[in-house]
Amino acid sequence: MTSVVVENVRVDFPIYGSRRSLRKALFERATGGLILRGEGRHQGMLVVKALSNISFKLQEGDRLGLVGHNGAGKTTLLKVLAGVYEPISGRVLVNGKITPLFDMMPGLDGEDTGYQNIVTMGMLLGMSRAEIEARIPEIEQFSELGEYLDLPVRTYSAGMTARLGFAVATAIEPGILLMDEGLGAGDARFAERAANRMKEFVGRSRVIVLATHSEPMLRSMCNKAALMHEGHMINFGSVQEILDQYYSIVHGVFTPVIPVSGEAPYVGAGQS
Amino acid sequence: MRNRCATNSPVRSVLENAENMTIQSVPGVALRSLVTTAGEDLADGFRQWRLWGRLGWLEVRRRYSRTVIGPFWSAISLGMFVLALGSVGTGLWSKSASDYLPFLAAGMVVWLMIANIVTESCTLFIAGTNLFRQMRFNYSVMAYALVWRNFIVFAHNLLVFVVIFLVFAPDRIAPNRITPATLLVLPGLVIVLVNSVWVSIVLGMLCLRFRDVQQLIISLIQISMFVTPIFWPPENLQGAARFVFVDFNPLYHLIDIVRSPLLGRLPAAESYIAMVALTIVGWWLTYLLFSYFRKRIAYWS
Repeated sequence: MTSVVVENVRVDFPIYGSRRSLRKALFERATGGLILRGEGRHQGMLVVKALSNISFKLQEGDRLGLVGHNGAGKTTLLKVLAGVYEPISGRVLVNGKITPLFDMMPGLDGEDTGYQNIVTMGMLLGMSRAEIEARIPEIEQFSELGEYLDLPVRTYSAGMTARLGFAVATAIEPGILLMDEGLGAGDARFAERAANRMKEFVGRSRVIVLATHSEPMLRSMCNKAALMHEGHMINFGSVQEILDQYYSIVHGVFTPVIPVSGEAPYVGAGQS
Repeated sequence: MRNRCATNSPVRSVLENAENMTIQSVPGVALRSLVTTAGEDLADGFRQWRLWGRLGWLEVRRRYSRTVIGPFWSAISLGMFVLALGSVGTGLWSKSASDYLPFLAAGMVVWLMIANIVTESCTLFIAGTNLFRQMRFNYSVMAYALVWRNFIVFAHNLLVFVVIFLVFAPDRIAPNRITPATLLVLPGLVIVLVNSVWVSIVLGMLCLRFRDVQQLIISLIQISMFVTPIFWPPENLQGAARFVFVDFNPLYHLIDIVRSPLLGRLPAAESYIAMVALTIVGWWLTYLLFSYFRKRIAYWS
């Protein structure tokens, strides 16, 4: 059964910048041995605490919407779930294939033709050559790019590139689907067809984690929601409950209480 | 990681309980961690040969897209270089053209591949951010793709050597000049490529974290072209300098295990010993660094 378990995950981003040069690191290594304290090797560097104490569980059928201000940690959490960032502490356990869709086309290259990009992207998303070949007619038909697929992608308009990306991305077999703000898609006529295809695509996935600011999207796609605030997951519950809480924060009615470190409750399966 | 709490037993037991709870509450499920070890990365990455083969091949195509003769431009510029420098060198080292030009061409072809790999390694992870920040990715795939695409260019450049071999050294075409030693080109190349992979991973990580290193490497690789016996025959150098720039120059041995067989000669046994040592030490060091810092690559980018 598909599931995701996140336990006490913490992610800090040290801001490399002034200390990025080897000269300075060597210099500090030579002189600063005694003044190192507290944060260890990141001492003296600005550190962004992107996620603290995140714990939750998701099971088959769970469609989680992540809600929160810009910079609340939604995207970082998605990237941790995707396995891009390994947490500083805590762990993420999964059962099932992870399908991250953050960028329309990872590995997209303007010099390559549409067909070449379809194959490269499919491979990056973990499909075999044969699986991709089998899906090409469907991608051709849905993207409606016709002969453009034989041309380099740099000749496409932005909307056409988006259509190609959307057609490929939604052709894969999603497992645990991770999405940041959904997928954009071309002009109005295409957007309508895209909405249907998206619905069907999302329906095929086992678990969804979606970061969004869009209430309609949240209501239509999610059956659970979590409120992110300054790197903490301060609540986990029904979409309605989380939205109410989010708006009360937005309107300044409610000040979120950040849970004390080490006492993060397990939320997820069982609660809704 | 979690063992930060390991010394503090009450906290640890709480954590352990939490773990047990978790596993019990999701029965019959094989949960796997998202952590990738260095060994998994290197092995799984190598198994994705279709992916890195494609990434490397497309990169070569892209670089020469809309040119008529494509990667052969690399061969042509190398050919012109070898001809020009060969004319000077023949006089300088008072060698016959039939001796010097094949030697120069063979050395340059190999050196060019190594130099390009080293230079491109510096931007390996800097240029690849759009891939590994989108998904869980075996970083080694990028290193394999880099080495592979440089090998493709090398195969084109090799044409320069073949032409020069045929034109300037007709006496070598006789069967006794393509000797059994020529077969050693293959193991020689394998050794060069195997070492290239660890070099590109180490330099890729180093240059990602410390952006100054790239500049340093570019200067070093330029100097290495002159201090390594590529233009000049190694036997011309004597004394302490020979010790430093020939005997203890890994680049010399790396080049010579391919160059000598290309010329139908047997490479020195010392070269093989040096290369086996380099391979073992290099990969051991790389494995240690990669195990320790692999998880930081995404944070450094």
